[in-house]
Amino acid sequence: MNFSSFIQYIASGTAYTLGVTLVALPSGLVLGVLFALLYVYGGRVVSRLMSLYSTVMRGIPPIVLLFILYFVMSGSVNLSPFWAGSISLGIISSAYQMEIVRGAILAVSGEQMLAARAIGMSTLEAIRYVILPQTLRLAIPPWSNEAAIVIKDSSLVYALGVPEILRRAQLISASTQQPFLAYISAAVIYFALVFIANRLLARLERRLTIPSNP
Amino acid sequence: MKKSLVLLVVLTMLGGILAGCASQGKQSVLDKITKDGKVMVGTSADYPPYEYVDDAGNKTGFDIDLMTEIAKRMGVELVWVDMPFDSLVAAVQEGKIDMSISCFNYSAERDEQVDFSDAYYTSEDAFLVKSGFAGAIVNPEDVAKYKIGVQSGTVQDDWLTTTLVEAGLVEDANISRYERVDQAALDLNAGRIEVLMADYVPAQALVKQYPDFQVVYHAVLSTGPLNIVLPDGDAKLQAEINKVIKALQDEGFIDTLATKYFSE
Repeated sequence: MNFSSFIQYIASGTAYTLGVTLVALPSGLVLGVLFALLYVYGGRVVSRLMSLYSTVMRGIPPIVLLFILYFVMSGSVNLSPFWAGSISLGIISSAYQMEIVRGAILAVSGEQMLAARAIGMSTLEAIRYVILPQTLRLAIPPWSNEAAIVIKDSSLVYALGVPEILRRAQLISASTQQPFLAYISAAVIYFALVFIANRLLARLERRLTIPSNP
Repeated sequence: MKKSLVLLVVLTMLGGILAGCASQGKQSVLDKITKDGKVMVGTSADYPPYEYVDDAGNKTGFDIDLMTEIAKRMGVELVWVDMPFDSLVAAVQEGKIDMSISCFNYSAERDEQVDFSDAYYTSEDAFLVKSGFAGAIVNPEDVAKYKIGVQSGTVQDDWLTTTLVEAGLVEDANISRYERVDQAALDLNAGRIEVLMADYVPAQALVKQYPDFQVVYHAVLSTGPLNIVLPDGDAKLQAEINKVIKALQDEGFIDTLATKYFSE
């Protein structure tokens, strides 16, 4: 097998890697922001529930949740390997993103909420116009960590046979007996993906900076 | 009040899961295959020469060609589902795939979870060493004296665990288990293990890849007959598959395949 088709075979798994990431990361973000708001402003009981969710989901290894969703739950929901993988990574990521956003909410001083309420905003308006705009900006640097982690964790779906980068590296390594080349190629592709993602996020962070609020 | 609401939600979800399990019918998978006109077959395409990917990235190998012919005889389209070896039995069990051909051997433990077709081929086990190996393996139990490597979840792994570990001949920690056989070959080459136990045919393929390797012993220990893994208790599907295998054996098709893939 020549070098270029070798690389090409592994690289064509990038579509699946990106696919899993692009499902898991945004769904984790939507849930994460929602859960963080519920955690902080949801009252005692809801707050406890969110705390429980975060503890449990961060305590389960992603691959275990993946197997539960794909094999154990197959009697009630019949998910394809791609969706079982993407959804479980999204669920796990939502717990981490919730903690990232919660940290950012707490970093915006609580007095701002009081002030917003005092000038007649409702709690929802205060969240929408005062808290969230600051929170989401503050969350970008730690969030870029999570983005890198989800890109790399997407490799776990190999265990269900999704032909993404890692599974392709395994198959080609077995058939050509060139494990070094196979795994180095996989590493380079993952590195490039994470590098590009972090660059884009850094640019986003710069563009969204509020001048007076470094 | 709110607590009871949460409990209700949790119970409803659990109920849904259990109901889902109970509602799985006992209809034969063969009916489903005939109705859909396609059969979903799982394999772990990282075990040459039984199943692997060729230069174009297509699946090929002894098992692959055999299953292609079986599907042709059944008059249905063949859909390959690649999956790591460890996941295949669970996938058949949960109905994610219709059957699996991946150099599987009958074992009593697996038989509790799934069913097997009749044997389509009989294979042997081999012990591989690197040149410079000073020891001697006369009886298979002699490997207990060396650092052993094996692919995890295989019948060879079973054999080592039962014959050596449970008999007290070797500490479990002395056996290195690898997800795939090519990883074990790397460690044999690097000297981290002294003996690699594998199926005889892939072992011969490894000797071709690594000229320093040699097979010092081979016999039917754990392996023996190869079978297709089928869903548990599906006699109708089993009978159909056995019928096709019997026909292919009688026509010499399987022997031709073996010559194509296993001869030196």
